[in-house]
Amino acid sequence: MSILIEGKSGTRHLLMGNEAIARGALEAGVHVAAGYPGTPSSEIIESLAKVCGPRNLYVEWSVNEKVAMEVAAAASFAGLRSLCVMKQNGVNVASDFLLHLAGSGTRAGMVIVPCDDPGALSSANEGESRHFARLVEIPLLEPGDFQQAKDMIKWAFALSEQIRNPVMVRSVTRLSHASGNVVFGDLPAVDAEAYFKHDGPALDPLQGVMLSYPVALKHRGQQEKLQQAVSLFEQSPFNTYEGPENPELLVITSSACCLYSTEAIHLLGLEERVGLLKLTTTWPLPPQLMENYLARTDKILVVEEVIRFLENEVKVLAAELAPRIGIKTFFGKKDGLLPTVGELNPDLVAGALARIFKMDYEPVAATYAAQAAEMAAKAPGRDLTFCPGCPHRASFWTIHNVLEMDNRQGFVCGDIGCYSLAMLPSGFSTLKTLHAMGSGAGLASGFGKLKAFGMDQPAVAVSGDSTFFHAVLPALVNAVHQQSDITLIVLDNSGTAMTGFQPHPGRPVDAAGNPAPQIDIASVCEAIGARVRTCDPFDLERTERTLLEMLADTPGVKVLVLKQICALSPEKKAKKMFEMRLDESICLGENCGCNRLCTRIFKCPGLNWDAAAGVARIDEVICAGCGVCASICPAGAISKKEVA
Amino acid sequence: MHVFGSNELVEDVLKTDLCVGCGACVNLCPYYKTWRGKTARLFPCDLPRGRCHAYCPKAEVDLDELSRKIWQTTYDGSPLGNHRKIIAARAGEKMLPGAFQAGGTVSALVTVALRNGLIDAVALTDRQGLTPVARLITDWREVVNCAGTKLMAAPTLAAVNEAVGQGRRRLGVVGTACQMTAVAQMRTNPLEEEDFSDPIALAVGLFCNWSLDTRQFQQFLSAKIDLAAIRGMDVPPPPADILVLTTDTGTVEIPLSQIKPIIAQTCFTCPDMTAEFADVSVGMFEGRPGWNTVIVRSDKGAELIEKARGEKYLETEAMPEENIAHLSRAAAEKKARALRMLMRRNLLNNKNGRHAAVRMPTEIVERILKG
Ligand SMILES: Cc1cc2nc3c(=O)[nH]c(=O)nc-3n(C[C@H](O)[C@H](O)[C@H](O)COP(=O)(O)OP(=O)(O)OC[C@H]3O[C@@H](n4cnc5c(N)ncnc54)[C@H](O)[C@@H]3O)c2cc1C
Ligand code: SF4
Ligand code: SF4
Repeated sequence: MSILIEGKSGTRHLLMGNEAIARGALEAGVHVAAGYPGTPSSEIIESLAKVCGPRNLYVEWSVNEKVAMEVAAAASFAGLRSLCVMKQNGVNVASDFLLHLAGSGTRAGMVIVPCDDPGALSSANEGESRHFARLVEIPLLEPGDFQQAKDMIKWAFALSEQIRNPVMVRSVTRLSHASGNVVFGDLPAVDAEAYFKHDGPALDPLQGVMLSYPVALKHRGQQEKLQQAVSLFEQSPFNTYEGPENPELLVITSSACCLYSTEAIHLLGLEERVGLLKLTTTWPLPPQLMENYLARTDKILVVEEVIRFLENEVKVLAAELAPRIGIKTFFGKKDGLLPTVGELNPDLVAGALARIFKMDYEPVAATYAAQAAEMAAKAPGRDLTFCPGCPHRASFWTIHNVLEMDNRQGFVCGDIGCYSLAMLPSGFSTLKTLHAMGSGAGLASGFGKLKAFGMDQPAVAVSGDSTFFHAVLPALVNAVHQQSDITLIVLDNSGTAMTGFQPHPGRPVDAAGNPAPQIDIASVCEAIGARVRTCDPFDLERTERTLLEMLADTPGVKVLVLKQICALSPEKKAKKMFEMRLDESICLGENCGCNRLCTRIFKCPGLNWDAAAGVARIDEVICAGCGVCASICPAGAISKKEVA
Repeated sequence: MHVFGSNELVEDVLKTDLCVGCGACVNLCPYYKTWRGKTARLFPCDLPRGRCHAYCPKAEVDLDELSRKIWQTTYDGSPLGNHRKIIAARAGEKMLPGAFQAGGTVSALVTVALRNGLIDAVALTDRQGLTPVARLITDWREVVNCAGTKLMAAPTLAAVNEAVGQGRRRLGVVGTACQMTAVAQMRTNPLEEEDFSDPIALAVGLFCNWSLDTRQFQQFLSAKIDLAAIRGMDVPPPPADILVLTTDTGTVEIPLSQIKPIIAQTCFTCPDMTAEFADVSVGMFEGRPGWNTVIVRSDKGAELIEKARGEKYLETEAMPEENIAHLSRAAAEKKARALRMLMRRNLLNNKNGRHAAVRMPTEIVERILKG
């Protein structure tokens, strides 16, 4: 059983930020939670899935973020509190629905939690969800610590019900994935009843139809709701100030930067000179509260991550308030004091403070770079690479080789998942484009129509199994209908591996682990009208032959499903398929005929080059027993024996 | 002979369209592959010297050195190369029937060599659809399955390398002039390997003026006829000026003017029309369908012909002098044409560390150009 429902009210627990958010939702009496896996957000839905039985909760991993938001909205319309979770760029996917949802309004509390990834630690972008709150005009909350992460979720549900519109509570990697102490509150009773009332007066928010029509009328109503939210923000207990009554400098910050700013001020001993306003209700800003603090000083530093949002909002407000509070000097990103890309940290904030106060502060020792380089030289080389036994290494080996053999300068349009790594040498630098979920197939669909302009390079796209359902399907339908000439390779490793094996529609289980109907990717593609083949990527020879033939085949849409379970999948239980042996007396090493193919090019971490002996060796501890290297060794030095 | 590595082979041959796709670099290592008439290298290899480069007939071929090693004599640039005699021949009464290109001399010689254990296996050229593919044949009854000329450059030598890799040492091989150059280089142990032994027991060369680029030929034909119906192809001697395709439903004639643009560009740099480094070289007998012209070059070649004739697998006749003179003229013209192209492309006898495709003594160059 999970601590999330066992922990008694008033007790203190060490929780990951994402668990705190989940507990907050439970304390708010959430009944439906939906999301699409994406780092750093995935643990929220996972934590809720674990307690769905005892808490009378419906939890799902939806096919994509837009559908997740629609599923959550349906619950709200039917009177159940609902939560919708995604990573930052998931909001882009859901935004079309969100725009209309903000227009139609909601009923029971609906909270949207995007987890942003400043610095793109696990993303292909540094996108931001904050701007979407302003774009679609819904309230934005940003907890600054773990306790707030829990408490503000509960508060957000109440707010959503008060204004009958969704509320966005934004987290970031350093909040979602770090841990801190959280004092629990009460859990409400679990019973709930769903009913969608739709036959009352059309414009009645609780009994009528849920539409964004008539648009102007609804839009005006929405903006009035936002004003209600602002007046609640003015009183919010979650916005706090610490520091002198009239500081020399006011630091305004939010989210994880609250922690960085506190530490930076402490580091420089500026507690008596700097005031720190930690805002959690960041859009729309409450003007009276802001006036109160802005009036206390002439200099203001805004600390936030990635591009300017808070800084601009504060400046607009300060301009409006100027007749009363006077003209201020602003520090932040506009003047280049803080970077507009990447994460912040206490050092960067301290550096900014030191420059404002003309203090002699070196956040990083001058010798640091040299020392780091020296240490790095001592550490063993660690490429960013696929795991030992990863099916993607085998798949990209073949895809790369086939495109070379095909010899028409063909290329692969990449997509989002572990296999994005194939843009690097670990995947033989096979990917030549990488954008959003499903964009590989979409780009290929476009490339595949350029024959008329003399382009005869084969266009290939790759997609993971989860990505296939998420956003590849429409692109594939497009390619078939437009008679584009593409080959789509679905790298089916039986789960959403990159984010932790969450199930997807191609799996026979749902988020709670119950049996669920499984949708067969090959059959779907066939039904759309593509020519489909299926191979085991570990069978290099057959996969190579099949793909070569597919590329040489007549034009049209072809799909190759490469099916092999992820090496780390819990279902595999780390069991080796083969016991591998390398006969060093046969190994050709650096001689003509091999030149270290396995350790120089294939580079599975289970293979080591013994430079002194001039032979390759297998590291039995690391080897996952997939057997693939036996098929690539030109000398037949590697043999495999099936494990009983 | 200058031997470099794989990276140089890619730069000097693959990237400059000099590659004919002969297969000499394929199956030596995991890096070179052949597919649908093209040779590709999968990954970089930084070895300074490799067999791929050493064997390639388009990279640093030193004809004088090769001639000394194979024939124990200097390269003199004579039109038909080192040889003992030139005869006419065709398959004898004992030879299995087959869809021979001309007299079936090639198939007959290979059959006899296999039957008598002079060789254990032979690398021939079959086709899959219209794509030439290498075949290693060990059963003499299967030789005829590969009869007939595929007018496209073929990766035949990939089968030789594969067989050598499997430990075979008494191999036969049939191939065009460039392939015979590669085979000669294979036989001379260019990398000075300690445990080397010559794996080639019989090299049968084919006369060759040019070959077609496989992919372009397929593309060209697929717009005109059903590729699956093609049974054979031939270029009859001048003044015909056509390429003739035999199909299930009759013959199709294509003017050579349409074929010329799809000749492999590398063939215009090739100075060898009669496979000068083979044991025997076989070509058409102009004006006498069903017969071959045969140039006997080595003792081994001469012995094989005697044996084949004795066993009634081969029938021979003297070759008329005027045919030999005509052949010689054509071969000399090809040599001169090729040298001019090599010089225009800066590929002959390069100095100052710049790589060449072909090297030969300058006085021989002059002799060939004078004609
Ligand atoms: C590309 C090419 C161009 C040629 N050009 C000329 C020419 O200009 N003048 C001339 O007199 N003769 C030329 N020939 C040779 C001629 O076509 C016959 O191959 C030769 O006369 C032998 O005839 P045969 O009846 O004895 O052959 P067969 O007994 O039918 O045997 C033919 C043999 O050729 C081999 N072969 C077929 N295609 C290829 C290929 N693409 N590459 C390597 N080996 C192959 C097969 O393995 C087979 O063993 C050419 C051959 C080729 C392959
Ligand atoms: S050896 Fe033959 S196939 Fe290889 S590069 Fe040279 S010409 Fe091309
Ligand atoms: S012309 Fe020369 S290079 Fe071309 S296929 Fe014939 S022998 Fe080879």
